[in-house]
Amino acid sequence: MSNTQAIPVEITRAGERDVKIRWQDGHESVYPARELRLKCPCAGCLDEVTGALRLIASSVPQDVHPLKIEQVGRYAVTIRWSDGHHTGIYAFDYLRKVCPCCSDKRQATSDK
Amino acid sequence: MATQYIIPIASGKGGVGKSTVSANLALALAKTGAAVGLMDADVYGPSIPTMLGITKPPEVDASNRIKPVEQHGLKVVSMGFFMKPGEAAIWRGPMLHKTVQQFLTGVAWGDLDYLIIDTPPGTGDVTLSLCQSIPLTGVVIVSTPQDIALNVAQRAIAMFKKLNAPILGIIENMSHYVCPRCGQREEIFGVGGARKTAERMAIPFLGEIPLSTPIRVASDEGKPIVLSQPESPGAKAFTAVASHLAAQAGLRAQQGAQVKVTF
Repeated sequence: MSNTQAIPVEITRAGERDVKIRWQDGHESVYPARELRLKCPCAGCLDEVTGALRLIASSVPQDVHPLKIEQVGRYAVTIRWSDGHHTGIYAFDYLRKVCPCCSDKRQATSDK
Repeated sequence: MATQYIIPIASGKGGVGKSTVSANLALALAKTGAAVGLMDADVYGPSIPTMLGITKPPEVDASNRIKPVEQHGLKVVSMGFFMKPGEAAIWRGPMLHKTVQQFLTGVAWGDLDYLIIDTPPGTGDVTLSLCQSIPLTGVVIVSTPQDIALNVAQRAIAMFKKLNAPILGIIENMSHYVCPRCGQREEIFGVGGARKTAERMAIPFLGEIPLSTPIRVASDEGKPIVLSQPESPGAKAFTAVASHLAAQAGLRAQQGAQVKVTF
């Protein structure tokens, strides 16, 4: 089994509201706050069985932002949001997978 | 609580000897002069109090924290302290999570070099809570050499990989039986399976513990073999495993840089 798990070095702010992660391999990801809220992987936002999105985007305020980010063990963080939501556990692997710049690139390659 | 190494002892299958291994490893580490805590997180079948011969319940200090019971030089907390004999813990997940939290943060552990945690078998609530609550140094997997036990052990290893909890190594328990009368070696569950699994998965192999009557008797009598018969083959096997474990823990602690969260 390879040990290619994505591990952050630092999780901090980008500007007023957004979240920045610096990864062990040197990559930096910047997550716009509301986009990250809409990607919440908790069972209330994402159907556990089908993976279908249950969260209704229009119910999330435009200015939603994290109030506090806390580590969960060695593999994830949990985010306390300004809209009161707090049940999502964002695994590092998941965060790396949804990195905005990396997923843009993947999109671009698959478009070709 | 300042603890240098936090090490759960886990398995896939039940009945492979996690508690016996936990108690003897904790004692072997304490013998080297380390300050060792032993947390019995097996809520369904807490057996550490019996194995260590603990009969008195823990006290509560002035700030309402549980004071671990000190026995044979270990600091011990067990679910068994809070249940009457013959009673069962029939709990759903949230209660289990709360108990794990209480044992981690509501216990006056003091400064420890090692916190060894005896867990229930499998990939359930208690083990998941542990992985979510604290940055573990790494997990030790106990298995018998049988294929059936090793198959389930691999599932447990997969869980820990997913949760980014390092595997410090695999211990093969009940590795072989030596007849006390004729000295013949009997490989009841086969032998070497755990070592091969460890090699295949590129995980350290920490050693083999024989299946032996004196180990079982010593545990039942409340004075594990590392204490009662330190020169026996069983005790020597535990001591050797403990020193490999200490080396792996030291290595992992150096590698495991903490994530800096400033938000």
